[in-house]
Amino acid sequence: MDSHRRTTVDEALPEGQSFPGGAGIVGNQLNGLKPPAMEAEAFHNASERILSAINTVIDGKAEAAKLALTVLLAQGHLLLEDVPGVGKTLLAKTLARTIDCSVSRIQFTPDLLPSDVTGVSIYNQASRLFEFRPGAVFANIVIGDEINRASAKTQSALLECMEEHQVTVDGDSYKLDEPFMVVATQNPIEMEGTYPLPEAQRDRFMARISMGYPDKDSEIEMLETHQATSPLTRVTAVVTSADVAAMIATVQRVYVSQAIKEYTVSIGRATRESAMLRLGASPRSMLQLLRAAKATAALEGRDFVLPDDVVSVAESVLAHRIILDRKAASTGETPHSVVRSILAKLPVPQDMSTQSRGGGQRSGPDLRHTR
Amino acid sequence: MTLTPQRHSGPDQGRTPEVLAPSPAPSAQSRRVGAQPWVMAAAVAVSVAGAALSLNGVLRGWAWYVPVLTTVCVVALAMAVLRSLRAQPFLVALGGFASLVFILTFTFFRRDSIAGFIPSGDTMAQLGRFLRRASETVLAESSPVAPNAGIVLVTCAVLGLVVILVDALAVPLALPATSGLGLLAVLVVPAMVKPQSVGPWGFAAAAAGYLMILACSQWFAPDNRTTADTARNPGQFRRAALTGGMALVITLLLPLAVPGFDQGTFPQGSRLNPWGSSTGLNPMISLGNSLRSPSGDGRITYASNASRPQYLRSVTVDRFDGDSWSPDDRDASRRVGVGRMDVGYEVLADEQVRTVTAIDTGRFTSPYLPVPYAPDSVNGLDGRWSWDPATLSIKGVDTNARNQQYVVQSTSPRLTPELLAESSAPVRGISEEFIRPPNNVPDIVRTTADTVTEGSRTAYAKAMAIQNYLRSVEFTYSLQSPVQGGYDGNGLSVLADFLTQKSGYCIHFASAMAVMARLEGIPSRIAVGYAPGRSTGATVSVPGQGALTEYEVDSRDAHAWPELYFQGLGWVAFEPTPSRGVVPDYASQASTPGGASTNENNDDLIPSSAATPGATPGATPVPLPGLDSSGEAEHALRLPLYGAAGILLLALLAASPRMVRAGLRSRRLRGSPSPGGSTAASAWAELRDLATDYGLAPGVSETPRHFSGRLRESGALGGPDGADDAGARAVASLTADFERQQYGRPAGIPESAALAGEPAAAVSAADRIARTQASLRRHSRLPQRLRAEWLPPSVMNRWGLIASAPVRAISRPAAKMGQAAARSWRTVRDGLRRLRQG
Repeated sequence: MDSHRRTTVDEALPEGQSFPGGAGIVGNQLNGLKPPAMEAEAFHNASERILSAINTVIDGKAEAAKLALTVLLAQGHLLLEDVPGVGKTLLAKTLARTIDCSVSRIQFTPDLLPSDVTGVSIYNQASRLFEFRPGAVFANIVIGDEINRASAKTQSALLECMEEHQVTVDGDSYKLDEPFMVVATQNPIEMEGTYPLPEAQRDRFMARISMGYPDKDSEIEMLETHQATSPLTRVTAVVTSADVAAMIATVQRVYVSQAIKEYTVSIGRATRESAMLRLGASPRSMLQLLRAAKATAALEGRDFVLPDDVVSVAESVLAHRIILDRKAASTGETPHSVVRSILAKLPVPQDMSTQSRGGGQRSGPDLRHTR
Repeated sequence: MTLTPQRHSGPDQGRTPEVLAPSPAPSAQSRRVGAQPWVMAAAVAVSVAGAALSLNGVLRGWAWYVPVLTTVCVVALAMAVLRSLRAQPFLVALGGFASLVFILTFTFFRRDSIAGFIPSGDTMAQLGRFLRRASETVLAESSPVAPNAGIVLVTCAVLGLVVILVDALAVPLALPATSGLGLLAVLVVPAMVKPQSVGPWGFAAAAAGYLMILACSQWFAPDNRTTADTARNPGQFRRAALTGGMALVITLLLPLAVPGFDQGTFPQGSRLNPWGSSTGLNPMISLGNSLRSPSGDGRITYASNASRPQYLRSVTVDRFDGDSWSPDDRDASRRVGVGRMDVGYEVLADEQVRTVTAIDTGRFTSPYLPVPYAPDSVNGLDGRWSWDPATLSIKGVDTNARNQQYVVQSTSPRLTPELLAESSAPVRGISEEFIRPPNNVPDIVRTTADTVTEGSRTAYAKAMAIQNYLRSVEFTYSLQSPVQGGYDGNGLSVLADFLTQKSGYCIHFASAMAVMARLEGIPSRIAVGYAPGRSTGATVSVPGQGALTEYEVDSRDAHAWPELYFQGLGWVAFEPTPSRGVVPDYASQASTPGGASTNENNDDLIPSSAATPGATPGATPVPLPGLDSSGEAEHALRLPLYGAAGILLLALLAASPRMVRAGLRSRRLRGSPSPGGSTAASAWAELRDLATDYGLAPGVSETPRHFSGRLRESGALGGPDGADDAGARAVASLTADFERQQYGRPAGIPESAALAGEPAAAVSAADRIARTQASLRRHSRLPQRLRAEWLPPSVMNRWGLIASAPVRAISRPAAKMGQAAARSWRTVRDGLRRLRQG
């Protein structure tokens, strides 16, 4: 029995960041006073450091790495889904390593209990009090391996944590650390004895990434670098968690124009009106899409969002939330292809008259889309 | 609830072929070949074949339409096939051309070609013959011309080329609106040649086809900047209504300003002879055209020793059967060599008058030679000429009448009424063709002839009775009323109309008299040529004759008159046309209304001799009946004035897309004075249009950044490594400015500068646009540059869109109605089926 219960915190916790009791205070502090936003240059340097550190470990997956960082900065959670052995867990671990913060890893199994995730109150005989022993979720970055192998009960224990950044045990709520990010992996094949994530839970992940196989050169290089030791061991933290909090604050300050809001909403409405979809994108997903777009813009060094930012993350953010119509699925459509075709048809708002001009001069291309 | 479907969305997601990347619509769409080539080809074929409908009337009957239809369909089909195979646009046009050659060879030279459709040397020889035939037809025949193989071949070839042109304009060049030019080219011919202009069917069919082309191009390759402009946008309808209303107003107002529109539908315009010089004196129909021609083309001068000016005769018409009369050439019996000619019958008159006439034809072009009757000999001609013993008409064998100077000796008996009255002997010695009355004579012609000649005994008396009847006050001379009455032409049915309406011009009077005379047993024929004309005031010295008075005639003097045969006296000319020509002494009686000569009237009609002798004769128009002659000088001025105005208008029309474009550009770059008038945004709009002009239209779903990147990488700004080029840098900074203005914080950096009224931003935006434009110009090829500057797609597409707005407005409800009808039909059918089963 015990061999199956591998709820491990397999990374050594950095100095001065132990759980007992203090976790809630740290979280409150971070939530209470907003950390000052970073200067553009510092932001750029920090993100560059993180990405290059990840790229030393994972070859040829710069896109996935960048998206993972985007999700982190947008305060979302990441779902990595792919066949075994393409580096899902490695990516999650590397991302966690590059940041000087607490990391925990949960290997999900069918007999994993909710209390293993959230924590449990134990009677301390010495002090004659119930004492809360925090679970694995009390960390800045939580890696959930093979999340679909856990029972529905355990999976849903993660729900509250992911959405509200807090844990409620025996009526007491405990704030989680900030930044807080769940990176879950799941294996789409070998479905025997698994509990697929319900829609509600999938919706809580900001983005889903498929790693995909590396190309030939990257694969050869991988054979080189990973032969003797894992390059993961050589990775050291390049930013502190405070830096990350400041970066998140920077992302929050990215400006979103009316046109971009309209564009985002029109994407969502298009998914709901699409004949190819049984379930369109939820309003929450719109919010997450916009947040991801803001993070992308910040990573590009801009303080405002472009339609390009929305387009670049839309597929990853939306594809795992929508459900294909049976007819469309039988014709070979995929959620990705549907999102792409919607984006290909949707007009990009670049009307000059909606914002500043009162329609007095109709000389520009008439692009007012009336959705 | 299973993850299986998502599994498919895994690694192979990028390779799904059906779905487009979220970016450039244009390039991605051009790769999709569906129904477009077929529908487009059908639209082009319908429009051209429809426009060809209007050629009925230029060509006689409908027999020519089958080869035309085959040609048009084959060419359109060939191009559609090539296009559906995704051939290069150039190859498509080439294939269309090849298919045109094949189908023409197959249709016309099947025997003289390889395998029935590949042209060979024999085909070329045949082609030469066909083309000569066609040019002869054009030169000598009147419209509607007989659809002989030569003219049909030319028609088919031209229409096939029009198909290629229209298709090329509509599809690869993406100028669907401009493709109307090709159709216009077809419609212009009937508009010029046919009295009824284009005709409703041809116009409707061509217009329908054109609208189909516009609709198809909008449907399959929607204009990227305007597809979002859905029917829900009220502005679209406002614009459409405005455009339509303006067109209507202009159509109604223009005729008031432009002369020639005021009579019938475009009668003057429809009379312009498209075959170059209108001086061919193509007998019969073209005579009316010549008379109405405002400018006296084809001036002929002649000098004669006769006491009075001469009628110059070119050709005769003697067969009055059939729909359309034309000269009978009798090529078989013609004799070559005009040095000595013979009338072929015995003349018993006591006194013969010999006249010598020296003629200079100038620019008059015709296969027939104008000479006074009856020529004995013609000297001084270039080339070989032949004469017809039966009619004495002289025709060139290998030459024509242009630039000929020659001297004609002619002989005719001195005729008196007494002499004519005595001629009562039965007719002998002339061809049966001149005696046989035509078949199917309308009753009105026969009864009129019988009524008029009732009580006349001799042939001369009968002839005089007919002439007097036609010259009576009942009949009026009018060039316009036959056109308006729809009997402008010739033939027996026209004659019946003429006798009912009692209004027409020389051809009607002459043919009426000729036919009626023949019905009364007098041999007759119609002579076509020139009425005497006017003295130029100059004299010409002719060897052996001394100085002779010179006269001139031009196309306005074109005339037809009847010639009647009297035994022993030969062919005698009469003048039944009121107010034209000169009534011969022998044919005038005291009872003739209007006196012996009607030159006073004549002067009213041909004003140049008396009123303004020699003053700009080339530009003096024939005043229409009802106009008094006081405004002549004004008229003389008006024509070049209107010509200049017309040319100016055309030039303006041709330059209007460019001017609209330039106006738009300068308005955008001047920077708007309104608050927040974003220079960046208008500069961006300008950049988009600029790129559209050079064939790089931005997609609807394309983000500014993506578009900018595509523009810079396309090589339009100078090669793939053009990153350091000034144009590429200008584009990049324009993009950045626009993005900041459009998506950045409202109090953005450049906007604040612009708000403060600092013109630097505006100047630099204009500067960047100019730099981009220069770069685009430098790196594009000539045709593209010309298109971008003279027919900018950004303007043309918008116009095309406006033009096709009604179609789009109709097509959507129509499609919905169709669906609803289908649905209700299904419901009814199912209900019935259930009823039957239940």
